[in-house]
Amino acid sequence: MKQLLNQNPKILLISALLLGALFILPLVVTSPALMQIFILIILYAYFTSTWNFVGGFAGVLPLGHSAFIGIGAYTSTVLFQTFGISPWLGMIVGGLLAAMMGVVIGLPTLKLRGAYFALATIAVGEGVRVLVENVKQVGPLMINGPSGISIKLTENSFSAFQFDSKLPYYYIILAMLLIVLLLTYFMMNSKIGYYLAAGGEEPEAAEALGIKVSRYRLIAMAISCFLAGLGGTFYAQLMLYIYPKSILGLDLSFEIAFIALIGGRGTILGPVLGALLLRPVSELTRIYFGSMLPGLHLVIFGLILIVVMRYYPKGLVEPVKILLNKLFINRLGKQGGPDGTDSAEKAD
Amino acid sequence: MLGIIEALINGILMGSIYGLTAVGLTLIFGVMKVINFAHGSILMVGMFAAYWFVILTGWNPYFAIPVVVPLLFWFGYYMQSFIIKPIFEAEKDVREPITVIIVTTGIWYVLDNLALMIFGAEFRVAKTSVTGQVFEFYEMYFLLPKVIGAGITMVCGIYLYWFLKHSRMGKAIRATSLDREAASLMGIKQAKIYNVAFGLGSACCGMAACVLIPFYYVYPTVGVPFDIKAFIIVVLGGLGSIPGAILGGIIVGIIENVGAQFMAATWTELLLYGVFLFVLLVKPSGLFGQKHDY
Repeated sequence: MKQLLNQNPKILLISALLLGALFILPLVVTSPALMQIFILIILYAYFTSTWNFVGGFAGVLPLGHSAFIGIGAYTSTVLFQTFGISPWLGMIVGGLLAAMMGVVIGLPTLKLRGAYFALATIAVGEGVRVLVENVKQVGPLMINGPSGISIKLTENSFSAFQFDSKLPYYYIILAMLLIVLLLTYFMMNSKIGYYLAAGGEEPEAAEALGIKVSRYRLIAMAISCFLAGLGGTFYAQLMLYIYPKSILGLDLSFEIAFIALIGGRGTILGPVLGALLLRPVSELTRIYFGSMLPGLHLVIFGLILIVVMRYYPKGLVEPVKILLNKLFINRLGKQGGPDGTDSAEKAD
Repeated sequence: MLGIIEALINGILMGSIYGLTAVGLTLIFGVMKVINFAHGSILMVGMFAAYWFVILTGWNPYFAIPVVVPLLFWFGYYMQSFIIKPIFEAEKDVREPITVIIVTTGIWYVLDNLALMIFGAEFRVAKTSVTGQVFEFYEMYFLLPKVIGAGITMVCGIYLYWFLKHSRMGKAIRATSLDREAASLMGIKQAKIYNVAFGLGSACCGMAACVLIPFYYVYPTVGVPFDIKAFIIVVLGGLGSIPGAILGGIIVGIIENVGAQFMAATWTELLLYGVFLFVLLVKPSGLFGQKHDY
């Protein structure tokens, strides 16, 4: 926490302002449709941040994250439908199941070259989708195959995770995102973070220094899958209807990976930036061209990805940071005068 | 019993076509250490090219081979030199070029969805002179285009193997895949080798596309199931190994077809994923993989 507060005060001020703006946003935006878009932006930022634990820091490329999101969503939903267990509890169970699944996949593959891990996660992602699409029910648990589950509607109730307005959803996902970002921050500055960074760049060199790279990758994988599972439950409760094509399968996995890479993988704010830039693109193309050109937003994503990777292989977070520095921080520094901390600025 | 033998042979026939697409994938991986996720989309491009060739000319689909295969070779060649090369060069020293892998998935999405926008989502079938013809052998029935296709892919696989073993270009490709730096010290132009390897990989897809056209549907995401099967096959056979890819393809074909005798076809897909995870767990280097490759 100390480290967090030891930053440049201007950056802290700006972040505090942004955070404040996010919290009072619902006062300004009242249209539920617009609110839904904001919620989805934050949700995708959340998904991508959980992806970032593995894809950003561990130096491998997971391409099947929808499997863990789907496990979270289906677990809490099925538990709620059959036994009436509160989705809040189901959320934890789903997260734990997703983490277990992640460890099972990671155990054999995280020791191998990254290519194997990417292939294995794709296969698992597709495998889970095919499995869910083929199962009607397991004992008393209804899965409903490809037609999916619509969640029983209840009154506006906290324990059933169902609300009449979008407002509670907004604050819940905002809190979840902030927690994940804080976790990311602490992980980056902890022993695990340093080990992962070392292992991501040069696994052999890190192993030679006595770091068990695959073990720390496995820890990162478990954390990431657990958090992704929690996000899955939130998605299910937000939409109140889940089906395999929406929450499992390649499209969601790739969208998450694209957002992370375009925003900047291995950075804290990269996923947020990526979601902020890409979600509106996909919402807008879906609204205006959805019927005519069904795949347009994915073409745009792909093209943006290729161009960004060509010119900014580290993602857009770097150029945006430089731009913001030029626009705001320097100006604030000039206004702030004597108490400005960067001496380089004064020397100008 | 006869049913199982029939399924077995059908599996080998279909599996050899899977094998050919996987050979392209494994060739590109062997040289560049990059998994080309756009591989299935390249197959899709080949299938649409062959489809339109057959529809517009009305000729026998196998006449499309001399047109589609070179077309796809140049498609892959220029895709590598214009899109992938600049990104690859920025990351040349990294052992795992993740950026390049993700760019190929970008290409996958662009190609698939462009095809969706241009041609629409409907399934198309090319009615050709061999479509639906059956080949009878000891009271077992096989689709004639499958038999011809398997024959053609086998010849291609053997030719490719010979090409890599004995031709000058093939030797240069193998040298590059063994050791990039040493190969360039011997005067091999790496950039060109990468282009050619990508071109050859795509040409394999073109060949597979031509033999698939007479009996398979064409639709914009047709590449995805082939893509995923190709991933499973290359891991099964060992990343970077050509005989492994062909054998892996045949194994996958057999699992799919024989499995369908005992369970619903969708469950065989799950069986494939199970086999894939099992191989990763037990022998990650696959059937023919080399130790330094994983």
